[in-house]
Amino acid sequence: MVKAIDNRWWLAAAVAGFAALPWGLGIYHQHVLIVSLFYVMMTASWNLLAGYTGQVSFGHAAFAGIGAYASGILATKVGLNPWLGVGAGTLAAAVFGFLLGVLCLKMGGIYLSLTTLGFSEILHIIINNEYEITRGTMGLQVPGLIAEYSKLAYFYIFLAGAIITLAVVHRLIHANIGLNFRAVQNDERAAAALGVDVVRVRVLAFTVSSALAGMAGALYGHYLLLITPQIPSLDQQFLVLSMTVIGGLGSFAGPVIGAFGLEILSEYIRAYGEYHVLAFGLVALIVARFAPRGLVGVWKQFMDRRRPAA
Amino acid sequence: MLALSLTNGLVIGIVYALTALGVSLVVGIMNVVNFAHGEFYILAGYFSYLFAHTLGIHPLAAMVIAVGLVFLLGLVVEYTLIRPTYGDDMYSLILTFILSIVFQSLFLLVFGPYPNKPPSWIKGATEVFGLFHYGNQRLAALAAGVVVIALFFAMLKLTWFGRMIRAAAQDREMAELNGINTTRLNLLSFGLGCALAAAAGVILAPVFPVTPTAGTPVALTAFVCVVLGGMGSMSGCVLGGLVLGVVENLGAAYVSTGYKHVFMFLILILVLLFRPAGLFGRREV
Amino acid sequence: MALLEGRRLSKRFGGVQALTEVDFAVEAGAIVGLIGPNGAGKTTLFNIVAGALPPGEGQVVFDGWPITGKPAFRICRRGIARTFQVTRPFGEMTCLENVAVAIVNRRPDLGRAAWGPMAMEYLEAVGLGALAETAAKHLNVIQKKRLEIARALATEPKLLMLDEVLGGLNTQEIQEAVGFIRDLRDTRGLTVFWIEHVMGAIMQAAEKVIVLDQGRVLMVGTPKAVVADERVISAYLGT
Ligand SMILES: Nc1ncnc2c1ncn2[C@@H]1O[C@H](COP(=O)(O)OP(=O)(O)OP(=O)(O)O)[C@@H](O)[C@H]1O
Ligand SMILES: [Mg+2]
Repeated sequence: MVKAIDNRWWLAAAVAGFAALPWGLGIYHQHVLIVSLFYVMMTASWNLLAGYTGQVSFGHAAFAGIGAYASGILATKVGLNPWLGVGAGTLAAAVFGFLLGVLCLKMGGIYLSLTTLGFSEILHIIINNEYEITRGTMGLQVPGLIAEYSKLAYFYIFLAGAIITLAVVHRLIHANIGLNFRAVQNDERAAAALGVDVVRVRVLAFTVSSALAGMAGALYGHYLLLITPQIPSLDQQFLVLSMTVIGGLGSFAGPVIGAFGLEILSEYIRAYGEYHVLAFGLVALIVARFAPRGLVGVWKQFMDRRRPAA
Repeated sequence: MLALSLTNGLVIGIVYALTALGVSLVVGIMNVVNFAHGEFYILAGYFSYLFAHTLGIHPLAAMVIAVGLVFLLGLVVEYTLIRPTYGDDMYSLILTFILSIVFQSLFLLVFGPYPNKPPSWIKGATEVFGLFHYGNQRLAALAAGVVVIALFFAMLKLTWFGRMIRAAAQDREMAELNGINTTRLNLLSFGLGCALAAAAGVILAPVFPVTPTAGTPVALTAFVCVVLGGMGSMSGCVLGGLVLGVVENLGAAYVSTGYKHVFMFLILILVLLFRPAGLFGRREV
Repeated sequence: MALLEGRRLSKRFGGVQALTEVDFAVEAGAIVGLIGPNGAGKTTLFNIVAGALPPGEGQVVFDGWPITGKPAFRICRRGIARTFQVTRPFGEMTCLENVAVAIVNRRPDLGRAAWGPMAMEYLEAVGLGALAETAAKHLNVIQKKRLEIARALATEPKLLMLDEVLGGLNTQEIQEAVGFIRDLRDTRGLTVFWIEHVMGAIMQAAEKVIVLDQGRVLMVGTPKAVVADERVISAYLGT
C-alpha cells in the first residue's frame, strides 16, 4: 500500500514537471510537444485494442479522421461550438466503430484488419469526392478551440486529452473487463469456455478505442485549423502503429515512450524528407521481428536478468 | 455501353481473381493475410517497366523475369519475417503492414510519384461482336489472365505439389502427420502467392500504369474477393474476382465513376451481414 | 433424471465421420465415465456439448434446456464447465488471473479485493496455491491440467466435464485425484462427465461408463460390466 502511494506521488511530480516544461520552450518546441501528445492519445488507444485484446485495426487514423471531419464540418456548416464538436466527433467515431465491430468481429480478428483497411480507403474516396463539404486535398478550414490562438493553451488542452485517454485505458485494463481483454487475447476458445462473451468484449474494446481516436482527431483538427486527408491517411496509421510497436505493444508505458520518441526523432530527421518514413519502417520491422514487446519489453528483460534469480 | 462495361469488368475481374488466388493460397495454408500483397503486384509492374523500358529487354521476357524475381523475394520475406510469427496471427498482420509501407516509400524514392507503364505487347483494337472497338492489349490481358489461372488450377489438380497444397489446406495437422514438410510448403506457398500477385501486376500494368501507392486498393480488392469467395476457397475467390470486376465497372458506368471502389466495400458489408462464411464458403464458423 | 442428454448426435469433419447417431445420458449427481480407443470421438462429443464446435445433427439437452449450437459462453453460464485435453491456459496471465476470468464473468460485481481470495481458494483446492502469481506459461503439463480444473470449478458449474486429466500421474497421485473428484461430487453435489484412459480410476469412481468406438456407442453399463465385455476388449486391443 505504501508503495502504491509512493508511485502516485512520483506520477504527480512527473506530470507537474511535464506541465511546466513548455514555459521554457519556444513556439516550435511547444508545437512538437503538442503533436507528441496527439500521438500519445492515438497510440495509447490503439494499444488498448492491439496490445490488450490482440486485434489489429488499420483504421485508427481513419477514426481520428472521422472525429476531425465530423467536428470540423459541424463547426463550418452549422456553426457548432468546437468543444461540442469534439464531443460529436468522439461520438461519431464510437458509432462507426461499434457498427464496424458488430459487422465483422464475430468472424474473428483477421476480418477486423481487412474491414478497417477497407474503411480507411473508402473514407479517402469519400473525402476526395465530396469536395463541396470536405474541400478534398485542399483541406477544410476550421475554427480553433479558443478565441485567442496560443500554443501554451493548446498544450494544456492536449495534455488533458492525453491524461483522459491514459486514464480510460488504465481503468479498463485494471478492471474486470481488462481480465477479459487479456483472456481473449491469450486464448479465445478457453475464454469462451469460461463464460467470456468474446464478441462483446472485442466490440467493446474496438468501440472505446475508436472513440478515443475520434477525440484525438477532433482536437487535432481544431489545433491545426486545417483538416486534410493527411489525418486519416495510411501513413498516419503506419506512424501510430510503429510508435506503439517500437515503444512496446501491450504495455502501458510503451505507447507513450514510442509516441514521444518517434515524434521528436522525426522532427530531427525531417530534413531528410522522404527517407524518414522508410527509416521508421525499417526500424519498426526490425523491432517487431526481434523484440516484439518493443523497448519496454527489452527493458523488462534486462531488469529480469539483472535481478538475482528468485 | 453495357457490353463494354461487362467486357471491362471481365478483364479487370480476371486480374482481380489472379491477385486474390495468391491471397487465398497463403490464407488457406498458412492462415496468414499478407498485407503487402498489393506491393508485390506493383513491384512486378515496376520490374517489367524497368527491364523492358530501361534495359530494352523484350516485354515478354521482362515479364517472366519480373515474376521470377518477385517469387524469390517472396521466399526471402517468408523466411525472414513470416516464419517466426507462426501461431501468432497478429504479428504477421503487423509485420506485413509495415512491410507494405516500407515498399511504398521505396517505390516513391526510386520511381517517383508518377505513373509508370511498361510497353504494350500489341497495338491496335479489335471490333468485338460488332458492338464496339476494344483495345488489343486489354484482350491480351484477359487471355493471359485466363491462361495463368488455368495453369494454376492444373498445377493444383495434377502435380504432387498441388496435392500437398490441397491436403494442407484441408487439415494441417493431418498433413503433417502424413509426412508433409509443412515448413517448406509454407515457404513455397508464400512465394507462389507473391508470384501470382506479380503475374497479375505484369499483365495489367500496360493497361493501368503502376504508382507507389496503387498497391493498397489492389490488395483490398483481393481481400474482398477472398472473403466473398469464402476464406481459403480457391474456386470461390476466382468467382469472387469476376463478380467484383463486373459490379465495379457497371457501378462506374451507371452510378458514379468516383465511387467505383466503394461498391466493392458495399459488397463486403453485405457478405459479412448475410453470408459471413462467403458465398461459396466451406470453412466452419 | 438425466442432467445432460444427447440424442442422435452425428458429426463429420471432411471425410472423417467422428460421431454417428450417438445417444447418451448423464444422470444428475453421478460420475459418468466416457472411454474408448484413440480417435473414438470422445473429445468431439465434449466439444459439441460445450459449444466449442458447431454441431452436426442431433440435439443436446441440459437441465431441460436445448443447448444445441448455442455459443460456448452461454453454455458455460448455464452450468457446464469443461477442461481441455490439450490444455489452454492464458499463458501471459498469472494462475490467479486465469481463475479470476472464470469468477468475474459469473460475478461481474466483484472487484479484485473480492475475487482475489476466492480465486486463491480454487487454486489451493487443486494444490497450486504456491504458484498463484506465476505466469501460466511457466507451468508444467501436470500443473496446467490442475489449472484447467481450478478454472472450471471457478465457474461454479452443475456439470463438470473432464477430458483426460490424469495423464502423467503416478499411482499414488491418481488415487489422490480420484479422491478429489469423488469429493467434489459428494460435498458440492457436482455431476461429473469424465473422459479417461486410466481405466483403474474410472473403475473406482464411476457409476456408469459409456464406451465409444469409431464414433458409435459400443455399450453402456457399470464399470464391471464394461471391462468384462468382449466387444470392449477387442475394441481396445484393436481387432
Ligand atoms: N477439429 C477437427 N477437425 C478435423 N478432424 C477432427 C477434428 N477434431 C477431431 N477430428 C477427428 O475426429 C476423430 C475423433 O477425434 P477425437 O479427438 O474426438 O477423439 P478422442 O476419442 O478424443 O481421441 P483421444 O483419446 O486420442 O483423445 C479423429 O479421427 C480426429 O482426427
Ligand atoms: Mg480426446
